Amino acid sequence: MIEFLDAEFTAPDSGARILEPTTLTLDERRISIIGANGSGKSTLARMINGLATPTSGSVRVDGMDTVKQGAKVRRVVGFLFTEPSSQLIMPTAIEDITLSLRRSIKDRTEREAAAMQILGDIGLADKADVSVNALSGGQRQMLALAGVLAITPRIIVADEPTTLLDLRWRAHVGALLRSLPLQVIEITHDLEAAARAQRTIVVDHGAVVFDGDPAEAVEYYRALMLDRAVGEPAT
Amino acid sequence: MNPTLGMYRPRNTPMHQAPAWFKAVLLVVIAAVFVLFTDPITSVGLMAACVLLLISTGPPLKATAQGLLGIVIIAALSGGFHVWRGEIDRAIDLAADLVGLVALALAVTSSTPMEHMLDLVSRILRPLRRVIPPETMGLMFAITVRAVPEVARMMSESRSAAKARGLDRSFRAVLIPTTTRTVGFALDLGQALHARGIAEEGDNPAPYRRARRVKH
Repeated sequence: MIEFLDAEFTAPDSGARILEPTTLTLDERRISIIGANGSGKSTLARMINGLATPTSGSVRVDGMDTVKQGAKVRRVVGFLFTEPSSQLIMPTAIEDITLSLRRSIKDRTEREAAAMQILGDIGLADKADVSVNALSGGQRQMLALAGVLAITPRIIVADEPTTLLDLRWRAHVGALLRSLPLQVIEITHDLEAAARAQRTIVVDHGAVVFDGDPAEAVEYYRALMLDRAVGEPAT
Repeated sequence: MNPTLGMYRPRNTPMHQAPAWFKAVLLVVIAAVFVLFTDPITSVGLMAACVLLLISTGPPLKATAQGLLGIVIIAALSGGFHVWRGEIDRAIDLAADLVGLVALALAVTSSTPMEHMLDLVSRILRPLRRVIPPETMGLMFAITVRAVPEVARMMSESRSAAKARGLDRSFRAVLIPTTTRTVGFALDLGQALHARGIAEEGDNPAPYRRARRVKH
């Protein structure tokens, strides 16, 4: 269970408040977060695994504080970024997965076998020794997800994981995320994907402005954006 | 730079079968011989041996030839400077040293999985674990290898973007976006490491756990 207890985030350099004091409990298995660019939704997501730490208040995951027990929290919460290239650390696909497994499997042969199994599960077994630079965007995102799953998290936070992908890979990555037996929190601009969650949170100007039924949340967000599009001159 | 240059490929060559520690020792010993022996015939002989060793690992010929071409040009320029100064022996020695060392380094990297390199660096540094965190140092080595083609790609994209804006001859139009994107890549990579919990508390011995703890 994830708890935001009056958690607030202020940018350290500019002093701008990115997230207003927020109190939330997230325990549904599928949660989507939607909002305009710069609304603070990514900051909210990053606070879940301690990539961003609250300036005041606290965030707890299964009772663990993301500041005091950050390393333990990150073993429970996997994070998937929008741009997979910067998330892939090793030169080849199999080496990237084995890197995630180094902590849990000490024997190298076992580790490589486990990595091959994971690559097979996501349909990239034939790309094991291929450079990560030679993979397509969709394959990279699948590999990044596999690298995160290899640390066996209980929660996955995915920050716009399909934004840079074509329709085919968007469907593929989306289906894989939906099939995971884990709690998945997805930040997305894909309103269809958002509506498939059990709960949707709308973030606007650093505050949660709607929290509830996905269909209603999507409608609320559409109306909000439409209002803004009418109210503000087009650029 | 070709992103696959020097990248490990599984093969069944003697170099692939040799343990990582042997290849690391080979690299150090031959580098020392290159430096210590300034005789041009020895240097050319060693260079030929290193190039043959590289070929024996079965690298993709076109990409490797393209990659080595850059080094050959630098070696030729450096050699040309010494020829101009009348130091023909020195010119041959330096050019052969440069090409030979790069060929040897490529032979090692293309026949050794990064995982084995990481293990080796971690094992070598284990006795110094109270001073240097072995896992982190191994990871630094891996990230350096990963970052080289990434930076080359960013530079190529910046060059294309500069061309598209009619700034073909502007060095600044390539350098500034490449630098800022490289910094961005490094920050993103740091966040990715953090997010995956790699090289965090628990991976390193107690003194590091204390030193790296950040007060919020």
